Amino acid sequence: MPRPLPSALLSHVDTRERLVRATQPGSGRGVEAIDPEFVLHLPSSTLKLVLGHFLDGPGARPDRRIFPIPREEEGISILSGLALAGRRAVMIFQDNGIGNMLTALLTFPQPYHLPLFGIITRRGGLGEYNSMIHTISERSEALLTAADVRWFQLDAQTPLEDWSPTIQRGYEYAHTTHRPAFVLVNLMGG
Amino acid sequence: MLERPDALRLIDAAFADQPLVLTLGGTIREMLAVVGRKPNHLYSLDAMGQPLAIGLGLALGTSRRSRGERLVVVEGDGSLLMGFSALSTVGHLKPRNLVVVVLDNGVYLATGGQPTAAASVDLVGVARACGWADARDVDSDVDALTRVLAWAATAEGPILLRVPVGTTQPKTDFFLEDPVVLGRQFMDWLDSSAEASR
Repeated sequence: MPRPLPSALLSHVDTRERLVRATQPGSGRGVEAIDPEFVLHLPSSTLKLVLGHFLDGPGARPDRRIFPIPREEEGISILSGLALAGRRAVMIFQDNGIGNMLTALLTFPQPYHLPLFGIITRRGGLGEYNSMIHTISERSEALLTAADVRWFQLDAQTPLEDWSPTIQRGYEYAHTTHRPAFVLVNLMGG
Repeated sequence: MLERPDALRLIDAAFADQPLVLTLGGTIREMLAVVGRKPNHLYSLDAMGQPLAIGLGLALGTSRRSRGERLVVVEGDGSLLMGFSALSTVGHLKPRNLVVVVLDNGVYLATGGQPTAAASVDLVGVARACGWADARDVDSDVDALTRVLAWAATAEGPILLRVPVGTTQPKTDFFLEDPVVLGRQFMDWLDSSAEASR
Protein backbone atom coordinates (compact mmCIF):
# COMPACT_ATOMS: atom_id res chain seq x y z
CA MET A 1 0.00 0.00 0.00
CA PRO A 2 1.56 3.34 -1.03
CA ARG A 3 2.39 5.79 1.71
CA PRO A 4 0.45 9.11 1.69
CA LEU A 5 2.31 11.97 0.12
CA PRO A 6 3.86 14.32 2.64
CA SER A 7 1.70 17.38 2.95
CA ALA A 8 4.61 19.56 1.82
CA LEU A 9 4.43 17.99 -1.60
CA LEU A 10 0.87 19.23 -1.91
CA SER A 11 1.80 22.79 -1.14
CA HIS A 12 1.18 23.94 -4.70
CA VAL A 13 -2.46 22.98 -4.33
CA ASP A 14 -2.62 24.11 -0.72
CA THR A 15 -1.35 27.60 -1.37
CA ARG A 16 -3.84 28.25 -4.12
CA GLU A 17 -6.58 27.08 -1.79
CA ARG A 18 -5.28 29.39 0.91
CA LEU A 19 -5.57 32.52 -1.14
CA VAL A 20 -8.92 31.50 -2.56
CA ARG A 21 -10.20 31.04 0.97
CA ALA A 22 -8.68 34.35 1.93
CA THR A 23 -10.97 36.09 -0.53
CA GLN A 24 -14.20 34.43 0.49
CA PRO A 25 -16.75 36.79 2.00
CA GLY A 26 -17.86 34.18 4.49
CA SER A 27 -14.51 34.27 6.19
CA GLY A 28 -15.04 37.85 7.28
CA ARG A 29 -11.34 38.39 6.83
CA GLY A 30 -8.70 38.70 4.17
CA VAL A 31 -9.36 40.63 1.00
CA GLU A 32 -13.07 40.81 1.69
CA ALA A 33 -12.42 42.14 5.20
CA ILE A 34 -10.75 45.11 3.53
CA ASP A 35 -14.05 45.53 1.74
CA PRO A 36 -12.38 47.17 -1.24
CA GLU A 37 -14.49 49.59 -3.21
CA PHE A 38 -12.03 49.36 -6.07
CA VAL A 39 -10.08 46.33 -7.28
CA LEU A 40 -7.41 47.00 -9.90
CA HIS A 41 -5.87 44.03 -11.62
CA LEU A 42 -3.27 43.01 -14.13
CA PRO A 43 -3.20 39.62 -15.81
CA SER A 44 -2.12 36.77 -13.55
CA SER A 45 -2.59 33.10 -14.34
CA THR A 46 -1.76 32.14 -10.78
CA LEU A 47 -4.51 34.41 -9.47
CA LYS A 48 -7.20 33.36 -11.89
CA LEU A 49 -9.42 31.96 -9.14
CA VAL A 50 -9.06 35.04 -6.95
CA LEU A 51 -9.70 37.47 -9.79
CA GLY A 52 -12.71 35.36 -10.73
CA HIS A 53 -14.12 35.95 -7.27
CA PHE A 54 -14.20 39.67 -7.98
CA LEU A 55 -14.93 39.60 -11.70
CA ASP A 56 -17.91 37.27 -11.81
CA GLY A 57 -18.09 35.53 -8.46
CA PRO A 58 -19.52 36.57 -5.08
CA GLY A 59 -17.14 39.52 -4.92
CA ALA A 60 -18.68 41.18 -7.98
CA ARG A 61 -21.03 43.75 -6.47
CA PRO A 62 -22.79 46.81 -7.90
CA ASP A 63 -21.07 49.07 -5.40
CA ARG A 64 -17.59 47.80 -6.24
CA ARG A 65 -15.53 48.72 -9.29
CA ILE A 66 -13.21 46.07 -10.65
CA PHE A 67 -11.14 47.05 -13.63
CA PRO A 68 -8.04 46.07 -15.58
CA ILE A 69 -5.04 48.32 -15.85
CA PRO A 70 -2.43 47.97 -18.58
CA ARG A 71 0.67 48.81 -16.53
CA GLU A 72 1.67 48.64 -12.89
CA GLU A 73 2.82 52.25 -12.68
CA GLU A 74 -0.55 53.41 -13.94
CA GLY A 75 -2.18 51.34 -11.23
CA ILE A 76 0.02 52.94 -8.60
CA SER A 77 -1.07 56.38 -9.79
CA ILE A 78 -4.76 55.46 -9.82
CA LEU A 79 -4.42 53.96 -6.34
CA SER A 80 -2.78 57.22 -5.25
CA GLY A 81 -5.75 59.25 -6.46
CA LEU A 82 -8.12 56.89 -4.71
CA ALA A 83 -6.06 57.14 -1.51
CA LEU A 84 -6.15 60.94 -1.67
CA ALA A 85 -9.93 60.68 -1.92
CA GLY A 86 -10.00 58.36 1.10
CA ARG A 87 -11.31 55.32 -0.75
CA ARG A 88 -10.57 51.65 -0.11
CA ALA A 89 -8.70 49.98 -2.93
CA VAL A 90 -6.39 47.10 -3.69
CA MET A 91 -4.24 46.26 -6.72
CA ILE A 92 -3.48 42.66 -7.63
CA PHE A 93 -0.54 41.93 -9.88
CA GLN A 94 2.49 39.71 -10.46
CA ASP A 95 5.99 40.33 -9.18
CA ASN A 96 7.50 40.68 -12.64
CA GLY A 97 5.75 44.07 -12.72
CA ILE A 98 7.55 45.39 -9.64
CA GLY A 99 10.18 47.06 -11.79
CA ASN A 100 7.48 48.85 -13.76
CA MET A 101 5.89 50.30 -10.66
CA LEU A 102 8.94 51.47 -8.73
CA THR A 103 9.48 54.90 -10.27
CA ALA A 104 5.82 55.80 -9.91
CA LEU A 105 5.79 54.45 -6.36
CA LEU A 106 8.88 56.37 -5.30
CA THR A 107 7.96 59.66 -6.95
CA PHE A 108 4.42 60.00 -5.68
CA PRO A 109 2.75 57.82 -3.03
CA GLN A 110 5.92 57.01 -1.08
CA PRO A 111 7.17 60.61 -0.68
CA TYR A 112 3.61 61.93 -0.25
CA HIS A 113 2.90 59.26 2.41
CA LEU A 114 -0.16 57.73 0.81
CA PRO A 115 -1.47 54.40 2.10
CA LEU A 116 -1.60 52.11 -0.93
CA PHE A 117 -2.10 48.38 -0.71
CA GLY A 118 -1.28 45.68 -3.22
CA ILE A 119 -1.23 41.91 -3.41
CA ILE A 120 1.71 40.68 -5.47
CA THR A 121 1.80 37.11 -6.65
CA ARG A 122 5.20 35.48 -6.82
CA ARG A 123 6.73 33.77 -9.80
CA GLY A 124 10.03 31.97 -10.04
CA GLY A 125 11.36 29.44 -7.60
CA LEU A 126 10.12 25.89 -7.19
CA GLY A 127 7.28 25.08 -9.51
CA GLU A 128 8.07 27.81 -12.01
CA TYR A 129 7.46 26.68 -15.60
CA ASN A 130 8.62 29.81 -17.45
CA SER A 131 12.29 29.77 -18.41
CA MET A 132 12.67 33.56 -18.27
CA ILE A 133 10.50 35.04 -15.56
CA HIS A 134 12.68 33.96 -12.64
CA THR A 135 15.29 36.46 -13.87
CA ILE A 136 13.30 39.30 -12.35
CA SER A 137 10.85 37.50 -10.08
CA GLU A 138 13.48 36.01 -7.80
CA ARG A 139 14.77 39.53 -7.11
CA SER A 140 11.37 40.77 -5.90
CA GLU A 141 12.19 40.98 -2.21
CA ALA A 142 15.58 42.56 -2.91
CA LEU A 143 14.06 45.15 -5.24
CA LEU A 144 11.37 46.17 -2.76
CA THR A 145 13.78 46.20 0.15
CA ALA A 146 16.31 48.30 -1.77
CA ALA A 147 13.52 50.76 -2.55
CA ASP A 148 12.54 50.89 1.14
CA VAL A 149 9.08 49.59 0.31
CA ARG A 150 7.42 47.55 3.06
CA TRP A 151 6.33 44.03 2.18
CA PHE A 152 5.02 40.94 3.92
CA GLN A 153 5.15 37.35 2.74
CA LEU A 154 2.67 34.50 2.44
CA ASP A 155 3.87 31.12 1.21
CA ALA A 156 3.57 27.38 1.70
CA GLN A 157 5.08 27.66 5.17
CA THR A 158 2.39 30.09 6.35
CA PRO A 159 -0.36 28.32 8.30
CA LEU A 160 -3.68 28.45 6.53
CA GLU A 161 -5.31 30.38 9.34
CA ASP A 162 -2.73 33.17 8.98
CA TRP A 163 -3.40 33.99 5.34
CA SER A 164 -6.52 36.09 5.72
CA PRO A 165 -5.34 38.00 8.80
CA THR A 166 -2.02 38.79 7.12
CA ILE A 167 -3.76 40.33 4.13
CA GLN A 168 -6.01 42.36 6.39
CA ARG A 169 -3.12 43.44 8.59
CA GLY A 170 -1.06 44.40 5.54
CA TYR A 171 -3.83 46.77 4.50
CA GLU A 172 -4.06 48.15 8.03
CA TYR A 173 -0.28 48.55 8.14
CA ALA A 174 -0.37 50.78 5.07
CA HIS A 175 -2.94 53.02 6.70
CA THR A 176 -1.27 53.03 10.11
CA THR A 177 2.11 53.99 8.67
CA HIS A 178 0.79 56.21 5.84
CA ARG A 179 2.91 54.30 3.35
CA PRO A 180 2.42 51.84 0.52
CA ALA A 181 2.53 48.22 1.67
CA PHE A 182 2.37 44.96 -0.23
CA VAL A 183 1.75 41.31 0.55
CA LEU A 184 3.80 38.91 -1.55
CA VAL A 185 1.84 35.73 -2.13
CA ASN A 186 3.69 32.64 -3.27
CA LEU A 187 1.33 30.23 -4.96
CA MET A 188 4.10 28.36 -6.72
CA GLY A 189 5.12 26.22 -3.80
CA GLY A 190 8.63 27.48 -3.18
CA MET B 1 -0.31 82.13 -29.15
CA LEU B 2 -1.03 81.79 -25.45
CA GLU B 3 1.88 81.30 -23.12
CA ARG B 4 1.51 78.72 -20.38
CA PRO B 5 1.01 81.18 -17.50
CA ASP B 6 -1.85 82.80 -19.44
CA ALA B 7 -3.55 79.46 -19.90
CA LEU B 8 -3.03 78.53 -16.26
CA ARG B 9 -4.67 81.75 -15.09
CA LEU B 10 -7.75 80.99 -17.19
CA ILE B 11 -7.93 77.37 -16.02
CA ASP B 12 -7.79 78.44 -12.39
CA ALA B 13 -10.49 81.04 -12.98
CA ALA B 14 -12.78 78.46 -14.60
CA PHE B 15 -12.30 75.91 -11.80
CA ALA B 16 -11.45 78.20 -8.90
CA ASP B 17 -12.86 76.01 -6.15
CA GLN B 18 -12.62 72.55 -7.66
CA PRO B 19 -9.96 69.87 -7.25
CA LEU B 20 -7.13 70.34 -9.72
CA VAL B 21 -4.06 68.18 -10.33
CA LEU B 22 -1.02 70.01 -11.67
CA THR B 23 1.71 68.34 -13.65
CA LEU B 24 5.30 68.79 -12.58
CA GLY B 25 7.99 71.35 -13.18
CA GLY B 26 7.33 74.75 -14.68
CA THR B 27 3.57 74.24 -14.72
CA ILE B 28 3.48 74.15 -10.93
CA ARG B 29 5.86 77.06 -10.52
CA GLU B 30 3.98 79.20 -13.02
CA MET B 31 0.60 78.42 -11.47
CA LEU B 32 2.03 79.47 -8.12
CA ALA B 33 3.33 82.65 -9.71
CA VAL B 34 0.02 83.63 -11.30
CA VAL B 35 -2.56 82.58 -8.67
CA GLY B 36 -0.54 81.68 -5.57
CA ARG B 37 -0.74 78.56 -3.48
CA LYS B 38 -4.21 77.05 -3.25
CA PRO B 39 -5.45 74.13 -1.14
CA ASN B 40 -7.53 72.71 -3.98
CA HIS B 41 -4.41 72.36 -6.14
CA LEU B 42 -2.50 69.09 -5.94
CA TYR B 43 1.13 69.72 -6.85
CA SER B 44 2.72 66.54 -8.22
CA LEU B 45 6.30 67.65 -7.83
CA ASP B 46 8.16 65.01 -9.80
CA ALA B 47 5.57 62.46 -10.83
CA MET B 48 6.14 62.66 -14.57
CA GLY B 49 3.67 60.55 -16.51
CA GLN B 50 1.37 60.17 -13.53
CA PRO B 51 -0.99 63.18 -13.32
CA LEU B 52 -3.62 61.74 -15.66
CA ALA B 53 -3.81 58.45 -13.76
CA ILE B 54 -3.73 60.22 -10.39
CA GLY B 55 -6.56 62.39 -11.65
CA LEU B 56 -8.43 59.31 -12.81
CA GLY B 57 -8.19 57.80 -9.32
CA LEU B 58 -9.36 61.07 -7.81
CA ALA B 59 -12.20 61.36 -10.30
CA LEU B 60 -13.37 57.85 -9.43
CA GLY B 61 -12.92 58.54 -5.73
CA THR B 62 -14.85 61.80 -5.76
CA SER B 63 -17.59 60.83 -8.19
CA ARG B 64 -20.21 60.72 -5.44
CA ARG B 65 -19.53 64.31 -4.37
CA SER B 66 -21.68 67.26 -5.31
CA ARG B 67 -23.15 67.22 -8.78
CA GLY B 68 -21.36 69.60 -11.05
CA GLU B 69 -17.96 69.31 -9.41
CA ARG B 70 -15.18 68.52 -11.83
CA LEU B 71 -11.82 66.90 -11.24
CA VAL B 72 -9.38 68.81 -13.41
CA VAL B 73 -5.96 67.62 -14.54
CA VAL B 74 -3.52 70.09 -16.07
CA GLU B 75 -1.05 67.98 -18.01
CA GLY B 76 1.79 68.66 -20.43
CA ASP B 77 2.34 66.88 -23.72
CA GLY B 78 5.57 65.22 -22.56
CA SER B 79 4.12 63.88 -19.33
CA LEU B 80 0.93 62.74 -21.07
CA LEU B 81 2.99 60.77 -23.59
CA MET B 82 4.91 59.16 -20.72
CA GLY B 83 1.69 57.94 -19.13
CA PHE B 84 -0.14 57.38 -22.40
CA SER B 85 -1.76 54.08 -21.39
CA ALA B 86 -4.02 55.94 -18.95
CA LEU B 87 -5.90 57.41 -21.92
CA SER B 88 -7.28 53.95 -22.61
CA THR B 89 -8.19 53.32 -18.97
CA VAL B 90 -10.04 56.64 -18.79
CA GLY B 91 -11.92 55.70 -21.94
CA HIS B 92 -12.77 52.32 -20.43
CA LEU B 93 -14.00 53.70 -17.09
CA LYS B 94 -15.51 56.96 -18.40
CA PRO B 95 -15.48 59.13 -15.26
CA ARG B 96 -18.05 61.80 -16.02
CA ASN B 97 -16.39 64.38 -13.76
CA LEU B 98 -12.92 64.31 -15.34
CA VAL B 99 -11.60 67.24 -17.39
CA VAL B 100 -8.04 67.05 -18.72
CA VAL B 101 -6.35 70.13 -20.16
CA VAL B 102 -3.18 69.35 -22.07
CA LEU B 103 -0.93 72.39 -22.42
CA ASP B 104 1.01 71.35 -25.48
CA ASN B 105 4.23 73.27 -26.05
CA GLY B 106 5.82 70.43 -28.01
CA VAL B 107 8.92 70.29 -25.83
CA TYR B 108 10.29 69.17 -22.50
CA LEU B 109 10.67 72.76 -21.38
CA ALA B 110 11.99 72.12 -17.89
CA THR B 111 14.97 70.15 -19.17
CA GLY B 112 16.06 72.52 -21.90
CA GLY B 113 13.41 72.37 -24.60
CA GLN B 114 14.08 69.00 -26.21
CA PRO B 115 11.21 68.11 -28.57
CA THR B 116 8.47 65.67 -27.58
CA ALA B 117 6.68 63.45 -30.08
CA ALA B 118 3.45 65.40 -29.63
CA ALA B 119 3.74 67.14 -32.99
CA SER B 120 3.30 63.75 -34.66
CA VAL B 121 0.45 62.57 -32.48
CA ASP B 122 -3.22 63.44 -32.76
CA LEU B 123 -3.87 63.56 -29.02
CA VAL B 124 -7.51 64.50 -29.50
CA GLY B 125 -8.01 61.67 -31.97
CA VAL B 126 -6.44 59.16 -29.58
CA ALA B 127 -8.72 60.25 -26.74
CA ARG B 128 -11.78 59.95 -28.96
CA ALA B 129 -10.68 56.54 -30.19
CA CYS B 130 -10.24 55.44 -26.59
CA GLY B 131 -13.86 56.27 -25.85
CA TRP B 132 -13.66 59.64 -24.11
CA ALA B 133 -16.95 61.53 -24.08
CA ASP B 134 -15.36 64.43 -25.93
CA ALA B 135 -11.96 65.75 -26.96
CA ARG B 136 -11.18 69.01 -28.68
CA ASP B 137 -8.30 70.95 -30.14
CA VAL B 138 -8.57 74.49 -28.79
CA ASP B 139 -7.39 77.64 -30.52
CA SER B 140 -4.56 79.22 -28.58
CA ASP B 141 -6.21 82.50 -27.63
CA VAL B 142 -7.95 83.88 -24.56
CA ASP B 143 -11.47 83.89 -25.96
CA ALA B 144 -11.36 80.37 -27.33
CA LEU B 145 -9.90 78.89 -24.16
CA THR B 146 -12.31 80.81 -21.94
CA ARG B 147 -15.29 79.55 -23.95
CA VAL B 148 -14.20 75.93 -24.00
CA LEU B 149 -13.39 75.90 -20.28
CA ALA B 150 -16.87 77.26 -19.52
CA TRP B 151 -18.32 74.47 -21.64
CA ALA B 152 -16.14 71.82 -19.97
CA ALA B 153 -17.25 72.99 -16.53
CA THR B 154 -20.73 71.61 -17.18
CA ALA B 155 -20.37 69.06 -19.98
CA GLU B 156 -20.28 65.36 -19.27
CA GLY B 157 -16.79 63.90 -19.20
CA PRO B 158 -14.32 62.57 -19.60
CA ILE B 159 -13.16 65.51 -21.66
CA LEU B 160 -9.72 66.20 -23.09
CA LEU B 161 -8.75 69.67 -24.28
CA ARG B 162 -5.50 70.16 -26.17
CA VAL B 163 -4.29 73.73 -25.96
CA PRO B 164 -1.15 74.78 -27.86
CA VAL B 165 1.01 77.11 -25.80
CA GLY B 166 4.29 78.90 -26.37
CA THR B 167 7.65 78.04 -24.89
CA THR B 168 8.36 81.25 -23.03
CA GLN B 169 9.48 80.25 -19.57
CA PRO B 170 9.19 83.02 -17.01
CA LYS B 171 11.72 82.96 -14.24
CA THR B 172 10.20 81.42 -11.14
CA ASP B 173 11.52 80.16 -7.85
CA PHE B 174 11.87 76.46 -7.17
CA PHE B 175 9.00 75.03 -5.16
CA LEU B 176 10.60 72.99 -2.40
CA GLU B 177 7.68 72.19 -0.10
CA ASP B 178 7.60 68.83 1.70
CA PRO B 179 5.41 66.51 -0.41
CA VAL B 180 3.81 65.12 2.75
CA VAL B 181 2.49 68.59 3.52
CA LEU B 182 1.22 69.01 -0.03
CA GLY B 183 -0.64 65.71 0.05
CA ARG B 184 -2.13 66.36 3.47
CA GLN B 185 -3.30 69.88 2.62
CA PHE B 186 -5.02 68.65 -0.50
CA MET B 187 -6.70 65.78 1.37
CA ASP B 188 -7.84 68.14 4.10
CA TRP B 189 -9.29 70.47 1.51
CA LEU B 190 -11.10 67.56 -0.16
CA ASP B 191 -12.58 66.57 3.20
CA SER B 192 -13.62 70.09 4.12
CA SER B 193 -15.15 70.83 0.73
CA ALA B 194 -17.12 67.58 0.90
CA GLU B 195 -18.42 68.62 4.33
CA ALA B 196 -19.36 72.04 3.02
CA SER B 197 -21.31 70.61 0.11
CA ARG B 198 -23.47 68.35 2.30
